[in-house]
Amino acid sequence: MKKVITVCPYCGSGCKINLLVKDNKVVGAEAANGVTNQGELCLKGYYGWDFLNDTKLLTPRLKRPMIRRQKGGELEAVSWDEAIEFASSRLKAIKEKYGPDSIMLTGSSRGTGNESNYVAQKFARAVIGTNNIDCCARVCHGPSVAGLMQTLGNGAMSNSIVEIEDTKCILVFGYNAADSHPIVARRLIKAKEKGAKIIVCDPRYIETARLADLFLPLKNGSNMALVNAFANVLISENLYKQDFVARYAEGFEEYKAMVAKYTPEYTAEITGLDPQLVRDAIRMYAAAPSATILWGMGVTQWGQAVDVVKGLSSLATITGNLARPNVGVGPVRGQNNVQGACDMGALPNTLPGYYYVTDAAAREKFAKAWGVPSIPAEKGYGLTDVPHKIAEGKLKANYIFGEDPLQTEPDLGMVRREFEKLELIIVQDIFMTKTAMIADVIFPATSWGEHENVFSSADRGFQRCYKAIDPPADFDVKDDWEIHSMMARAMGYPMQYNNAQEIWDELRGLCDLYTGATWDKMADLGYVQWPCPTEDHPGTPWLYEGNKFDTPSGKAQLFAAEWRAPLEKVDADYPLGLCTVREVGHYSCRSMTGNCSALQTLADEPGFVQIHPEDAKTYGVKDQALVWVSSRRGKVITRANLNDRVNKGAVYMTYQWWIGACNELTVDHLDPVSKTPEYKFSAVKVEAIADQKWAETHVQNEYGKMKADMRKAAQA
Amino acid sequence: MNRFVIAEASKCIGCRTCEIACAVAHPVGSGAQALSPQTFSPRLTVVRSGSVTAPILCRHCDDAPCARACPNNAISQTGDSVQIDQSRCIGCKTCVVACPYGAMTVVSVPAQAQPGSFLTSLRPRAEARKCDLCVGRAEGPACIPACPTKALHLIDQETMAATLRRRQEQAVQNLAASVTL
Repeated sequence: MKKVITVCPYCGSGCKINLLVKDNKVVGAEAANGVTNQGELCLKGYYGWDFLNDTKLLTPRLKRPMIRRQKGGELEAVSWDEAIEFASSRLKAIKEKYGPDSIMLTGSSRGTGNESNYVAQKFARAVIGTNNIDCCARVCHGPSVAGLMQTLGNGAMSNSIVEIEDTKCILVFGYNAADSHPIVARRLIKAKEKGAKIIVCDPRYIETARLADLFLPLKNGSNMALVNAFANVLISENLYKQDFVARYAEGFEEYKAMVAKYTPEYTAEITGLDPQLVRDAIRMYAAAPSATILWGMGVTQWGQAVDVVKGLSSLATITGNLARPNVGVGPVRGQNNVQGACDMGALPNTLPGYYYVTDAAAREKFAKAWGVPSIPAEKGYGLTDVPHKIAEGKLKANYIFGEDPLQTEPDLGMVRREFEKLELIIVQDIFMTKTAMIADVIFPATSWGEHENVFSSADRGFQRCYKAIDPPADFDVKDDWEIHSMMARAMGYPMQYNNAQEIWDELRGLCDLYTGATWDKMADLGYVQWPCPTEDHPGTPWLYEGNKFDTPSGKAQLFAAEWRAPLEKVDADYPLGLCTVREVGHYSCRSMTGNCSALQTLADEPGFVQIHPEDAKTYGVKDQALVWVSSRRGKVITRANLNDRVNKGAVYMTYQWWIGACNELTVDHLDPVSKTPEYKFSAVKVEAIADQKWAETHVQNEYGKMKADMRKAAQA
Repeated sequence: MNRFVIAEASKCIGCRTCEIACAVAHPVGSGAQALSPQTFSPRLTVVRSGSVTAPILCRHCDDAPCARACPNNAISQTGDSVQIDQSRCIGCKTCVVACPYGAMTVVSVPAQAQPGSFLTSLRPRAEARKCDLCVGRAEGPACIPACPTKALHLIDQETMAATLRRRQEQAVQNLAASVTL
């Protein structure tokens, strides 16, 4: 038995794991002593590896390339040569006919790694000639990246996960660490034990609320009003650091004017919070010698998200909680490598290393390195633009890499209708998914565990995953970067790499932020946080030393905006606000965790809708009964979870279920800047089902049929 | 004094890692891979109620109501714990009702065919289940190291004495500060 070091492929905590390998099979996982996890793992880390053995509990691994010769035809297994020829000739024809911007591509924020994201965006920019590449940051922390790049200069956590336990006050805003990042939740507990004050702003009584000194159960959709009220109190009670603001920040007068009317009394009706509680909370934050703000999807998955991120950043700025240890702003990234996909430029507006595509000097540097005359200067499409650009006739092909948009995007009915119009869909993945089921080409890739790579954790930490096993002998799969390289060569661009390290060395040579993060420094348990500009640099646990911000002026930008209500309104027909949330044992579209015995045992179809017992009584719903949940866009069946920790008037569902698919219900309303969907508020109704026996059978039949269809398609 | 595992509720985040660790330590088949909703019966249960979240499990009571209640003497004091002799369990569930913690469950398990006895009926049989402190597992209870927030603790004579001592010292400090006559 050998032990192989890797990084957990599930959340952004960056936990190091020792995979136990026997006869080319993973047989167990042990916690390794990584920087962020300190020898601890959660259930996904300990029990989330058996999908590697193709358990087929949910959906089978993709074993060989497949093509669909005609729309509406069956998938057919073919050789790699034939699949590449089929895909590249069609992609080339579409590029010639409609232009490079008629093609959309994705990076993958999941188990594949930084090298393959770098190669995927290089394929988009240098081979196709478009900036139309994006990753699922769009639907998660996109607003944090966009907002913080503007206010402070870096779209990432300013400080480290390890520092959380040594801060003296934590303002937790729309962030459920216990379900999203158990290993970060652990730091919150340690902070509390070390005497930190904890303030929780969340409509639900989440686990962290149990630790909280102050709990602010704000109304769903009132974030901006509360953040403005916090700023209002800081300024009107003179609790902010005037000297810090004067020397290191800009825009104070406009900021002050904007928040002037947002007194806690004025916002009480919007937020539903007692003004005294709001004052007490922000006084507590301001009084702490060091304070940290952590936020999650409760801030970012709104039509008004970038504004709130900038508002939170401004709270940290005016109280001087930046540019030193144990303070800062912490957008804790959800997917294991969503930070990495962003770092690698799998974004429509930035190249690897966060050079804007509008920066001519950067474009020239990359064009020269990649041996192409130029790189497109215009920002490309985001993931959530895709259905709309198809509708407008602008997008004709979609090369989807390690994502399952037909499960994860809002308003799935609309997404399916638009995707049907595409001339070419290429899916590169490890599992048969809902999206792969409609693909014209399927490229099967090696999984996490079957290749080596670097991930970026939520706090900008680069870590290496070693290869634990070869893919099973009957699998004809390739590393993601090799597939993109084969496609590039077939399209006439010379792209050839021998291993992940070659790619890593190419990219760190091009990105000043990463230059010093050598392969060797990341060996074993090595942890290198960017910026790491030179090889003798140890990496940067906390940003903005010397109060120098990475904005054009070098100063932090203050910002507030008028509060905007969520788009959809509840009414007599749809009286409840649906908010989509996380399930601790499952990850992303669940193709991986759903194939792990222990994890799928804990939670399986059709998932749950969490509802307050009083609302349940109103709608005649019993605990654990199957119910219909519907919105103006769709109707799904799921199981009621009566839960007095959720607020009245709102219901909560998790997004990974096929039957209880909450994204059939969600509204496609986007933040104007980051284009992140308002997953946190859609008007719905909940209806009891009289014939529970029929309902149980219906769920089993539907689920069984979906699984059987996928199995059949994968084995074609 | 009987040993027992207890959770510090202030540290529990409700992630249920302990439940899986427990189920894996008491395998029906071969470890985590054999788990399924049908076979999943961990001997501790994470309970969320009002403002508290914590796993609930057997306290190994020194005068155990379950043992007193069992009509077939299947539950007994064994060493420094309370253990169940499954061969004597008749599945009557009296112990489930008797336990003030709700730490006992009775589950139906598929009968295993005995070698040479293929003619005997393969009716499922009942088993009373609760925390057995992972007796026979060299590293001790599996739930304790698995917990990512270290909320679970094994209490034995020594740790109990240390806890008592700590409390008493705290009490004497409080006394010094607050009581003057």
